[in-house]
Amino acid sequence: MSRRLTAIVLALLTLAVFATPALAQKPVKIGVLTPLSPPGDASAGQFIVRGAKMAADDINAKGILGGRKIELVIEDDAGTPEKGGAGFRKLATQDGVVAVLGQFHSSVALAVQDLAEQFKVPLFATQASSRVFTEKHLNYSFRTHVIDTDRVQLWNRWIKEKGFKKVAVLAENTDYGVGLVEDTKKLFVTMGVSAELKTIIFDRAVVDLTPQLLEIKNWKPDLVINIGVGTPAYLIIKQAADVGLLPATPMLVSYDMPARPEFWKNLGDKGNYVSFMVYYHPTMKLTPRGEAFRTKYREQFKEDPVYAALNGYAQVALIADALEAAKSDSSEALVRSLLGNKFQGWSATISFTRGEGPYWQQWTPPMLMLQYTRPEMPFTEAKIIYPAEFKTGELAVPR
Amino acid sequence: MDLHLFSQYLLSGIVIGAIYSLMALGITFIYSVMKMINWSMGEFYMIGSYVQYALLASLLGWDRWYLALPLAMASVFVLGLVVQRFLLRPMYVGGVERRDEYATVMTIALMVLFRNLAIVLGGPNQYAPRDYAKPTTLLTLPLSGNRVVALVGALVLLGLFYVLVTRTWVGRALRGAAQNRIGIQTAGIDVLRLDMLAFGVGVAMAAAAGALLAPDFLVYPENGAISTFKGFEIIVIGGLGSILGSVVGGVLLGVIEALGSVFISPAYKDLYGFLLLIALLVLRPTGLFGERERTV
Repeated sequence: MSRRLTAIVLALLTLAVFATPALAQKPVKIGVLTPLSPPGDASAGQFIVRGAKMAADDINAKGILGGRKIELVIEDDAGTPEKGGAGFRKLATQDGVVAVLGQFHSSVALAVQDLAEQFKVPLFATQASSRVFTEKHLNYSFRTHVIDTDRVQLWNRWIKEKGFKKVAVLAENTDYGVGLVEDTKKLFVTMGVSAELKTIIFDRAVVDLTPQLLEIKNWKPDLVINIGVGTPAYLIIKQAADVGLLPATPMLVSYDMPARPEFWKNLGDKGNYVSFMVYYHPTMKLTPRGEAFRTKYREQFKEDPVYAALNGYAQVALIADALEAAKSDSSEALVRSLLGNKFQGWSATISFTRGEGPYWQQWTPPMLMLQYTRPEMPFTEAKIIYPAEFKTGELAVPR
Repeated sequence: MDLHLFSQYLLSGIVIGAIYSLMALGITFIYSVMKMINWSMGEFYMIGSYVQYALLASLLGWDRWYLALPLAMASVFVLGLVVQRFLLRPMYVGGVERRDEYATVMTIALMVLFRNLAIVLGGPNQYAPRDYAKPTTLLTLPLSGNRVVALVGALVLLGLFYVLVTRTWVGRALRGAAQNRIGIQTAGIDVLRLDMLAFGVGVAMAAAAGALLAPDFLVYPENGAISTFKGFEIIVIGGLGSILGSVVGGVLLGVIEALGSVFISPAYKDLYGFLLLIALLVLRPTGLFGERERTV
């Protein structure tokens, strides 16, 4: 009996000795919850995943927290709050991730952030811009992307400076679309924009927007703001061109969808003269981290990176840096580290403070307005039309 | 209200409604013959749009959409035959209990399968073939050339379908099966073969709608979802099993959606058709052109 006991003790000791390094090398899991199938903007999700994977590869060359690897756990939220919620629960409870990034659709981010609070897992909005996301002042919600209010302020200033008299807004019925419409209305008053405003909110599932575009065309606006995300954004441009609204009336797309390689494939000549908001431009000076990413991305994919990939990359790097600074893989330590340190982002240094209103655990990248002025124009050559300090050309309107 | 603008809304509703009716016709045709609802109809629409895009992008070149259209229809027709033969027919032989329910579940499973296959094979992104024709004006309505092509294509296909079911031997057999499946068997007709044909023709109609609308409504894994719902709304409005009902119901739905979205709110565009549908179900449960079941 005593011989058997000795054998068991020896076996357990051996197991403990050999298992310890293995446990020490347990990977640090980071969740990427992002749209990878319709009705979400799956193209954006793919770019976010692409950037996140590149960051994980770079970090894993050295490892963090004493040589541990980063393991990305990728989940598809399909741009819907239900799937987002299910995905987040799985990441938090089953996979045991230390943080989750990749949020693109505001409706999903707003639904999921309450779960982040419940499970105490930090959530990063990668391209979800609803003001409410950071305005709720939740402990586990972080964002390194623009806030809709800032986006609206930029286009309102542009509208004022250009002297547009009539502005039509066509928005999808999501938190993003409705939020932008509300902010535009509110800020038109507070910023003293004298232009007349017409807003139309449509059901995101609708594919024929011809009647709404005819109504807008008949109203004769000086500018149309396209607040669709993914398929609706394309449909608005296509159908606006079909009813003769484009290109004679300038159209501003509310986010950087036209920067993606598939833009011209899907729209052909109809995409010409479209203006759009971006948060990155190929001529921008980046941090050493951003520059290294851009070079590697160009080598690997033979195209310029888009913002979603840059921000996906930078967020994984940010989480890794914060964990390293905290010397811990616990979520609480991560939050403390994020709030107490400064980190190298892709375009500048990132730091988080708990400011007022939506400026809570928020870092905002730069914003620019670009315009294509010829069919198939590469994103790298698109003119910067606003703000004035970065301008490389004027808004072009064909007559 | 500006009359010119009103006429534009009306025309845009009629155009889109006529195109919707192609989809509805496929659904109602399959229902008439097989007495089952094909819930994966939108996915055959989606497959039609993908085949059209793939043919144009890789084989035929962007200008030959008129060659790609019959090829897309033919490939989906063959797919329909295979699906019916191997997945649906087993429920129609051997006295399977609750066969309609099984068939319904099977088509729902197909819907999920095809949608996910599209994501796996083509990725989740949108695609669009180049325009089939230049923008034009239809009376007062500035219109995409693609939509004119889709409208003409839909009208031609509706006409061909009408000729098929009214002027040919196969059409008479199909109408016979629609009226009485047992009766037609006593006349020596293989009703299971007719089922296969009806399913193939029905899904090919959906594929035609997908292929015709691909440049305007894009090609992506869920692009058939809306058309399925519209198709079902139309067949209930027009009357299950009625060809005329599919056309009139389609146009009515298109016009009501167009006017409702402008005069009430575009945020509830899909609701207006359902309100009409509910009203019809209360006032005329058989739909506009449907008939009460005749039993002895």
